[in-house]
Amino acid sequence: MIELLATAESFEQAKHLIDCGVDTIYIGEEAYGLRLPYSFSREEQRAVIAYAHAHGRKVTVAVNAILHNEQIKTVPSYLTFLKENGVDRISVGDTGLIQLMKQPDYYIPFIYDAETIVTNHRQVDFWAKFGAVGAVAAREVPFEELQMMAKASLPIEVLVYGATCIHQSKRKLMRNYFNFIEKSEDVSRQRDLFLSEPKGDDTHYSIYEDCNGTHIFANNELNLLPYLGQLAAVNLTTWKLDGLYCSGESFVSIAKLFVEAREAIKAGLWSEALGAQLDRALRRFHPAKRGLDTGFFLLKPDQVK
Amino acid sequence: MEKLKTAIFYGADAVYIGGEAYGLRTRAGNFDYTDMQEGVDYAHAYGAKVYVATNMMTHEGDEAGAGDFFRTIRDIGVDAVIISDPALMTICASDAPGLEMHLSTQQSAVNYETLNFWKDFGLTRCVLGREVSMEEMNEIRAKTDVEIEAFIHGAMCISYSGRCTLSNHMANRDANRGGCSQSCRWHYGLFEMDEPGEHQSITEAGTEPFSMSAVDLSMIHHIPDLVNSGIDSLKIEGRMKSIHYVSTVSNVYRKAIDSYCADPENYILKQEWVDELWKVAQRELSTGFFYNEPTENEQLFGQRRKIPQYAFVGQVLEYDQDSQIAVIQQRNNFGVGDELEFYGPGMRHHQEQLHSLWDEQGKPIVRAPHALQIVRMKVTQPVKPNDMIRKRK
Repeated sequence: MIELLATAESFEQAKHLIDCGVDTIYIGEEAYGLRLPYSFSREEQRAVIAYAHAHGRKVTVAVNAILHNEQIKTVPSYLTFLKENGVDRISVGDTGLIQLMKQPDYYIPFIYDAETIVTNHRQVDFWAKFGAVGAVAAREVPFEELQMMAKASLPIEVLVYGATCIHQSKRKLMRNYFNFIEKSEDVSRQRDLFLSEPKGDDTHYSIYEDCNGTHIFANNELNLLPYLGQLAAVNLTTWKLDGLYCSGESFVSIAKLFVEAREAIKAGLWSEALGAQLDRALRRFHPAKRGLDTGFFLLKPDQVK
Repeated sequence: MEKLKTAIFYGADAVYIGGEAYGLRTRAGNFDYTDMQEGVDYAHAYGAKVYVATNMMTHEGDEAGAGDFFRTIRDIGVDAVIISDPALMTICASDAPGLEMHLSTQQSAVNYETLNFWKDFGLTRCVLGREVSMEEMNEIRAKTDVEIEAFIHGAMCISYSGRCTLSNHMANRDANRGGCSQSCRWHYGLFEMDEPGEHQSITEAGTEPFSMSAVDLSMIHHIPDLVNSGIDSLKIEGRMKSIHYVSTVSNVYRKAIDSYCADPENYILKQEWVDELWKVAQRELSTGFFYNEPTENEQLFGQRRKIPQYAFVGQVLEYDQDSQIAVIQQRNNFGVGDELEFYGPGMRHHQEQLHSLWDEQGKPIVRAPHALQIVRMKVTQPVKPNDMIRKRK
């Protein structure tokens, strides 16, 4: 069973994504969820859940922030809200939240998503014992290792399109810098700033700040569209599309391509040629100035020391 | 090994070391089993503990052999492992029952429920994330009953530890498996892009470049707050550092903590302790997240303040009171005429100018230029084996 998840940046976009065949909508609010295209109000969250359910689809809400004491105190009321509104799953990255959800009143089936530190199927099996129903593989895991991760007792979610976060600091790294050089600058995601490596002028790592700190993203967005057949063949069938850096109808159009791929695989009609064709189409919708690559997917495990 | 012994000799109650596998400092002079046994025996003879850092996040297959490893180090007498990967924890718990586990800072534990989780799982201590403030730490202490350890001195990740793979992406070196290339400390271009993808730098040429380099942590000014917080262990980072560094920092904190605990009412931080820390400081020092969120002043930007540089020149091996002759193992070039500073455990200190120096055969020499060369020198004040000698560069 292939599951296609996609982030949404508005109720409207969520509707379009559902209408075009996405299985699960991934939304959340900034106070508890990390690196979301949009911070949904409670009312909007309720509306997305209702619309998705009316169409037989699911909603996962991001509650994957690193939580400090204050947030640990306020998060239970959010869990209650989500439960009352029938959210299907949440994503979790903080162990304290898992501790809270040992209380049945708060428990919501959750996807363990601690980003960089989910790299081995045995870790996933560990979180399964505490109520996880899925886990998100770190983007730094090559395909060869992902296949082994598929042995886990839970479905492993793989990012197949979108931005990869490679650094989260609680510090205001941009604001600190601009203070130092005495320049006033917008440091939000909308400002759309990039870093380049000292020895790589052509690199472009997105960077921004929000209430969860400073976030830096990989040089290019990940695109595994041509490899979906291989993923499906090894039972890695939970696929996420992240629209943090691709907005509006373009993202919906990209989602449609993945839906088409999913249907082809289900029908046994997938081919490399179809993968290549869909991939060409995807490149038309992907923002022109942002690159695409396969990240760590094709690396040999020993290429990373 | 030398660092382990030095840390204990200079007042540490426990040392953490790396084994040959599963650690995060692949270049830190890690211990094989024989060394580990020697280190554990030495530590235990002094009533000190040894913790082994096994805090990598395993990829598939990395965990092979971990059960044997944990069992072996448990039987060697290692007091605990410092661990962050639930896969390794599971193996440790099943294959080496009785070996205590401490949560590594790599798990970024920053709230009390997280500590309660790990306690319920069976961990006996949690090292907090560096993002925890003093106020938060006090609350965590009040709401948990697992041991708490916090870093109080040394270098820091600028990210949430474990949540940074800059090194993986920029240098193909896995930050969470011991390969961190410290990419955060590089200088970066900062720019916006127009639609065709042209980079437009947003700073003028000659401006300080963007970087994310944290200054080091030092809590020497806040020993009373740390002691009164009720946490169980104060941690000094320094597996990649010299015995000069390890001895100096351990010495200062031991002295400060003991002074405060002996007489909290009349405790005063001595400037000489602070000065002592600066002699081995590699970067500016700050209090991290303990009292406020770090600003630009807690990052390395611009002209660096000149930190007084001291060279570690030797270690005392023997001392004969009658002849006032000390036998020294050389660590850096020094010689007659140099102003030398001697120090030992308990913050014993003295300075003197070197007048007479002999080689191992008793031949007078002017300088000791060879690494690890054994020399004799006349000293005017008594010294003890394991005392260290430094001089200003």
